[in-house]
Amino acid sequence: MPLFGKSKSNPELVRHLAENLQALRKAADSEKKLSKAQDEVSRTLQMIKNYICGSGEQEPQAEIVAQLCHELEATGGPGGMLRMMVENLHSVDFEAKKDVAQIFNKCLRRQIGARSPTVEHICSNPQVLFMLLKGYENQEIALSCGQMLRECARHEALARIILSSEEFYKLFSYVEMSTFDIASDAFSTFKELLTRSSYKMLIAEFLENNYEKVFEEHYQKLLNSENYVTKRQALKLLGELLLDRHNFSVMTRYISSAANLKLMMCLLREKSRNIQFEAFHVFKVFVANPSKPKPILDILLRNQEKLVDFLSKFHTDRADDEQFNDEKAYLIKQIKELRELKPGAEDE
Amino acid sequence: MATATKADVKKWPNNKEEYELHHVIGAGATAIVQSAYCIPLKERCAIKRINLEKCNTTPEELGKEIHAMSQCNQENVVSYYTSFVVKDELWMVMQLCGGGSLLDIIKFRIKQGEKYRHGVIDEITLATVMKEVLKGLDYLHSTNQLHRDIKAGNILLSEDGSVLIGDFGVSAWLADSSTNSRGEKVRHTFVGTPCWMAPEVMEQVAGYTYKADIWSFGITAIELATGTAPYHKFPPMKVLMLTLQNDPPGLDTGVTDKEQYKAYSKDRDHIRKYLLSDLSHVQQAKPKRVPGSSGRLHKTEGGTWEFSDDEMDKNSEEGKLACNDESRTPRVKEASPVEEEETAAPVPEAAPAVGSTPLNFVLRLRNTKGELNDIKFEFTRGQDTADSISRELVEADLVDGKDMIVVAANLQKLLDSDENTKNVTFALNSTGNVNEKQDEKALHGFAQLSLLD
Repeated sequence: MPLFGKSKSNPELVRHLAENLQALRKAADSEKKLSKAQDEVSRTLQMIKNYICGSGEQEPQAEIVAQLCHELEATGGPGGMLRMMVENLHSVDFEAKKDVAQIFNKCLRRQIGARSPTVEHICSNPQVLFMLLKGYENQEIALSCGQMLRECARHEALARIILSSEEFYKLFSYVEMSTFDIASDAFSTFKELLTRSSYKMLIAEFLENNYEKVFEEHYQKLLNSENYVTKRQALKLLGELLLDRHNFSVMTRYISSAANLKLMMCLLREKSRNIQFEAFHVFKVFVANPSKPKPILDILLRNQEKLVDFLSKFHTDRADDEQFNDEKAYLIKQIKELRELKPGAEDE
Repeated sequence: MATATKADVKKWPNNKEEYELHHVIGAGATAIVQSAYCIPLKERCAIKRINLEKCNTTPEELGKEIHAMSQCNQENVVSYYTSFVVKDELWMVMQLCGGGSLLDIIKFRIKQGEKYRHGVIDEITLATVMKEVLKGLDYLHSTNQLHRDIKAGNILLSEDGSVLIGDFGVSAWLADSSTNSRGEKVRHTFVGTPCWMAPEVMEQVAGYTYKADIWSFGITAIELATGTAPYHKFPPMKVLMLTLQNDPPGLDTGVTDKEQYKAYSKDRDHIRKYLLSDLSHVQQAKPKRVPGSSGRLHKTEGGTWEFSDDEMDKNSEEGKLACNDESRTPRVKEASPVEEEETAAPVPEAAPAVGSTPLNFVLRLRNTKGELNDIKFEFTRGQDTADSISRELVEADLVDGKDMIVVAANLQKLLDSDENTKNVTFALNSTGNVNEKQDEKALHGFAQLSLLD
């Protein structure tokens, strides 16, 4: 077995990785060859990782990092080694999967002046992004893919590609997957893409332009999910999205819909107190709307008494949560003082 | 390769019907651990059932911790198999450690009395066990993870006698479930006490590295020999003080009879020197990242912890307060020159007619950079509403969207109050979760709304 020392040049190292990743595929029928290729891949990945991420007390050397990252992009055809590593992720061993994620993320963070060469590289080879997304479907590589995908999501240019793709909507089903850690990882990615502070304008634009698809077609399902965690997290995120000033027009649209209000009123009465509480933080936005459309006003008026009664008894044990109590008192007062716009609105 | 074995081959089901639950191994306030049997795989396992309704840790944070756990695959670290949601519980399926924890063994022996006065676990056994722990720790550290809670209660034994580091990462939210692996009433003496904590972790200044685990490892060695961690009889604050002020504790710390542990290594001084030779690094430890943790002390149900936090930062906090007060005075002067027209603002109940004189308000809060700002605005009764004003403030990026309702609520409160109430101070939502210190006087995490005459 060839054991290369530090003398092996960086381009050779990367080429060696490429060869063995290819060997992994070809050797699928021979167990011996497969395990040999696997060992080689693991060893090479570990060496590359140590060079570019440092190991133990040893800090990485900038020059070597730059050279290796460059080689990783230049070797292995379109998408370079980044694509090839992701493509073969399922056939490398446990530790090697983690090394791939570390190498990938380190490359992505690399900057030359104001430029991020690897981000540009992926922009012109976006298939890697969709391979990573699809990774959520495979239990064995899901978390490593998630780690890389989230690093991608930190960059506006890459987030734009993901958000404008059809594949983005797969995340809505990934966040409901039965394995908690995968679902939870997918949710972090989902949340990152919808709340990252460095590209709020992009997000607002995306939510506005795709309002029906995002909220009416997909998000609704999360709020009605059978899965307690999905429901709770989706509700919390919804509150955050609506109360972000960049998303004002989305909020205005959301709180004008009677169906949305009805859903929140149902969620207020869920068995889970955490869900009730998150629902409260969305419900309050409907009530505090200075220009409530008639359908909303009608629902609130129709339930005026019941709502006042309900809110007066709502989570009374949160005595030390000052904001909550202020807000609740305010809502009760607002609802009490609601008057019909014109006389003669229908009654029930 | 020993690593590519288990998770790759077996697929643990995500469905409660496929597990039989057996006896309770440990129980905490928000979680229980049960031994279980996986029907399709015909294999025993442990299931930790965390009540997500009662648990203070959010599902998001739990996800991060489990993520860290799932990235571990080494024979001295308890294996994580899968996790799934059952109603409002999170079920974590893990490797079963049928032998209990080393703390169980300590307790069992101590119950037998005098016999173990000169040491609970003998040196050879101790060294054998700790070597395995060290292998597990070394693995965690090589993958850039810290355990943060090494102690006898978290060192588990499987039925074949192998030694495993357990409750990795989980300890932060399950401070008390690991102390007992036999389902007996759990003694809470150790819970949330900082006995095992390295000084740099307590100080929380520079952050800490894997060396913090090595400190806890050393304390655990003492615990195995003597049955308790060195300062176990003191309350948490005292332990913090002793740890920070004294030399690192040893086998004889707090022991009156110097002969008591003489059976242990004659070469102790050498070991001590060797272990501490590198101590200078401990103090200047770099903040290397710990997955999902803020590097804080353990959260306990009673919240006994938080105060030690405050105590430590008191000086800096006072300093902050002082400079804030200074910087505030000129602002107040700036804001004050408002012409006196009528002495009192119109009485709210009496004067709500359209076209009445606008009321002048000042909202004082910190912007995202932490600078105090005064926002002046007018409010005309009958024309403006609390909702519409606060919405404008958000739209103008003067108030965080999360605070829209709470600002409206307090504006309304002031409008409805009697004429003597001229200002309110209230907590904000937007800064509520940040690690930033909350301080009502200095308006950290608070805002003040005043009605000008």
